[in-house]
Amino acid sequence: MAKPPRGGMAVPAAVSEGADAAAQSVEGVPEPTYEWMGLSAEWGVRVKPGEHGLRIGDLNVGIYGEVPEVWDDQTRRPRGALPRPGVPPLAYNLRAKHQLWADSAANLYEEAIQRRWIPATEVPWESLQPLPDDVERAMCQVCTELMQYANTEIEIITYWQDQMSYGYYEVKQFLATATFDCARMIEALRKRALANGGGLGVEGRGLVNRMILESRGGWTESAVYLYLIRGTFTMHVLRGLLNAAHNDAERTIFAHAIEDQARHLTYGYDHIKYAIAHRAGEADIIQTLLSLGEVMMGAELEESTIKPALAIVFGGGIAGGRTIGMETYLHLVGDFVRNYLAVCEWIGVPRAEMLHPLLKKYLEY
Amino acid sequence: MAQFPSLDWFREVRDVYNSDSTLHKGGGGACHTTAAFRVDGKEYLIQFEGTKIGDIRNATAAELQDVDFVIDMPFGLWKEMISNVQKNGKAERRYTLNSIDLSQADGIAHSPSDDQYRQDLFYRYNQNFQDYFDASARVETTF
Repeated sequence: MAKPPRGGMAVPAAVSEGADAAAQSVEGVPEPTYEWMGLSAEWGVRVKPGEHGLRIGDLNVGIYGEVPEVWDDQTRRPRGALPRPGVPPLAYNLRAKHQLWADSAANLYEEAIQRRWIPATEVPWESLQPLPDDVERAMCQVCTELMQYANTEIEIITYWQDQMSYGYYEVKQFLATATFDCARMIEALRKRALANGGGLGVEGRGLVNRMILESRGGWTESAVYLYLIRGTFTMHVLRGLLNAAHNDAERTIFAHAIEDQARHLTYGYDHIKYAIAHRAGEADIIQTLLSLGEVMMGAELEESTIKPALAIVFGGGIAGGRTIGMETYLHLVGDFVRNYLAVCEWIGVPRAEMLHPLLKKYLEY
Repeated sequence: MAQFPSLDWFREVRDVYNSDSTLHKGGGGACHTTAAFRVDGKEYLIQFEGTKIGDIRNATAAELQDVDFVIDMPFGLWKEMISNVQKNGKAERRYTLNSIDLSQADGIAHSPSDDQYRQDLFYRYNQNFQDYFDASARVETTF
């Protein structure tokens, strides 16, 4: 093999101790430039750690804490840095605060970093014990579908995250943790499915997944489907699974998953509430989106394989799945719908009078 | 021997929780919230401050309005839960806060100000609250 030609300059020898560095310029090495050194929008900042350490929310001092209503800059310039003329614009299409903001994002980012967990070593996998075949198959089917929920969340967040302006970096930071949470969820569920004599089940049809992934009207629209509808339901599923955990491994997975999911919902609800409060007409738009979303969610609840699979898990087998298991599942969905209505009311889009019959019927449970 | 419910009991459990980090399974024990437990007509205010639990005292009416959420259940259920922890070293599945919350028609955790954000703290820090009550296994208890 021919030896590639070596280019570039030789690395200069280190400045010897006691020598005058300025006097040791190396031939052929250009002098460093220093014009940039005096350029800063605000210098001399000394943020002190608070009682919870040095959190990103603490950094919002002086100009660094000025979060504008509109961020016109389409470059990667960090908020507070000086702009450089001539940088070509990039496709940062979400440039208004109401399109992505949530006051809680900075704290949720810190919380996500603090509450990280490691499925490889923190889940007591040795606690897994063989389950009856029908229960193991149902658990694995639930894991399969929840993995699809998680990868849908990753895909829709990253699609929009790419378009979010750096003026709202706290949100971008938090959403980065949310996608990592989802990746970890996929990891933990895949390990659960493949560690106890079973395997993955069948792919779900994914009506709601498709609805989420095809929401292209803006991040707020996606957040309505992802958090308000699907996410609220997922939270109830995870809580039901923790309640029905067969061993400490499942208990650990679902206990952590609930906390991760709760952070995502806090951001989602907070953002939607913010969007409604800061943009005229947003509540009406969200009402329309919810009318459409409820149909899809109702249809999915009818036909999804997660329904019989959860009933079998809750009922301890196929026989129990026909009675107590299905009853438990229906109560879970009823709790989801009641919770959904309460959150909609709190956010500012009351749905009680307009709830689609496909969801309304669960209120009797 | 501490009697449940009493300030002494809640504080003894706090001291156990604060002194042993192996009891902290959720988020390395980090938790930032002020909650209240309503037991038998009395409210006990508890402050989670990072990896420690701080002050525990009887809540005034004004303080009660300002907590993130209140955990409220009938005395009989509190007693069953604490007894289960005492017997097993930690809550068995049906006596975890999550399971008890699911078993009650209106749940057991409520935000006094109907603030969903503060209500959600019950879920975001759920393991910390469970860790706290599981620590009561080391406190000899009478009812």
